[in-house]
Amino acid sequence: MRNVLNFLLRYSSWIVLAFFVALSCIMLFRRNPYQHHVLLTSANAFSGGVYSAASNVTGYFNLREINEDLQRRTASLEAEVVSLRAQVASYRNAILQDSLAVNPATSRFKFIIANAINNSVSHPYNYVTIDKGSAQGIRPEMGVMDQNGIVGVVNVVSKNYARVISLLNPNFRLSCKVHDGDAFGSLVWDGKNPREAILEELPKHTKFRKGDTIVTSGFSTVFPEGIPVGVVMGRAHGNDDNFFTLRIRLLTDFSALSTVKVISNTDLVEIRKLEAESEADNTADPRQNGQK
Amino acid sequence: MFVILVVAQVLVFNHLCLWGYAIPLVFIYFIIKLPVTLNLNWVITLSFLLGLSVDIFSNTPGMNALACTLLSVLRLPVMHLYYPRDEDMTNPEPSMRTLGVGTYLKYSLSVTFIYCLMFFLFESFTFYAWLPMIGRTFASTAVTFLIILAIDSFQARRR
Repeated sequence: MRNVLNFLLRYSSWIVLAFFVALSCIMLFRRNPYQHHVLLTSANAFSGGVYSAASNVTGYFNLREINEDLQRRTASLEAEVVSLRAQVASYRNAILQDSLAVNPATSRFKFIIANAINNSVSHPYNYVTIDKGSAQGIRPEMGVMDQNGIVGVVNVVSKNYARVISLLNPNFRLSCKVHDGDAFGSLVWDGKNPREAILEELPKHTKFRKGDTIVTSGFSTVFPEGIPVGVVMGRAHGNDDNFFTLRIRLLTDFSALSTVKVISNTDLVEIRKLEAESEADNTADPRQNGQK
Repeated sequence: MFVILVVAQVLVFNHLCLWGYAIPLVFIYFIIKLPVTLNLNWVITLSFLLGLSVDIFSNTPGMNALACTLLSVLRLPVMHLYYPRDEDMTNPEPSMRTLGVGTYLKYSLSVTFIYCLMFFLFESFTFYAWLPMIGRTFASTAVTFLIILAIDSFQARRR
């Protein structure tokens, strides 16, 4: 017994060291960001509080640029409103003719305004922390955008804060298409430049030009269709010759994030329930067949 | 000191990214300055907690914690490379006065380099190519070392 105690005392530092090394390795190799515990991310109440206090000060620094972005966005929206108004008017005529109902497909999306209180662009896996949480209606897997384009998707939520997987994170893939086309590809960050990303798996028949806008495809419950993401810079070298790989300049300026909009899909609960049910059916089916 | 360094790291230094490469990892100043006579168990524990707090804030789970823990054990062997007799030291805290200017500079530069090397190595496990990683290591070492010297001279003057 004494020998054991002596042994423990003599090698106590090694044991302490091994313990902490093992602990950090466990954290290090748990790569899937959805498995991170809320206490170990910047979404916990304490670090969220520190970051929101700091962003009260630093939030003013980028206001001029953000203001310009907003002006530009307002102008383009204004133009869109004018053209939509004209379309609505023409539809109204059509309704009068053959009673065609106009279905407002985007009305199932609502926006929650939040402030980005922390974000990084220099790591291989980047995250954004925002100052709204479950108490304000934020749930995991909600999309986040700012005045210019897509920011990311919420993954860890505490009561008043949430952590967002940034577009600058290879764990996040976004289904996108070339504006006014139908073929879609998958947008992913290659970890090199925070202003650029790669659009992969775009079918060969897609027509695109340098300077074309890339928008979200709407093939997910996270983002509505048609939110601008980036601009085509040119072909990139891909690892699959059957598809196009494009280099995209991102519209969102991740180094100057401030106010963001969290996209809340009011149908999300229903869609999730439906998916879960159909999945349960699929797994249950073979057994039923066997019984028959 | 612990709190000040963590707050400074996560609010200021994490957002500095010079030439797209160099991130100053200034909080290791705490580990550099831990007294030589402090029980090794405490050194390891404090370093782990330091790394973990920076990790929590910057969403890099385990990277800084692992690097800090390893650094805390490597610190004394590194110092003994340059300065074999720590019985002579009147003040157990490593500084320019207790170790001499040259030795202290060598000691803190080596510790900083080891730390940056470990950190970017862990960061690059799955993702980065080797070349950018080496570039980032050297650039960050240089920037971190300069800032640590600045903090050091500031502290020395205040005393």
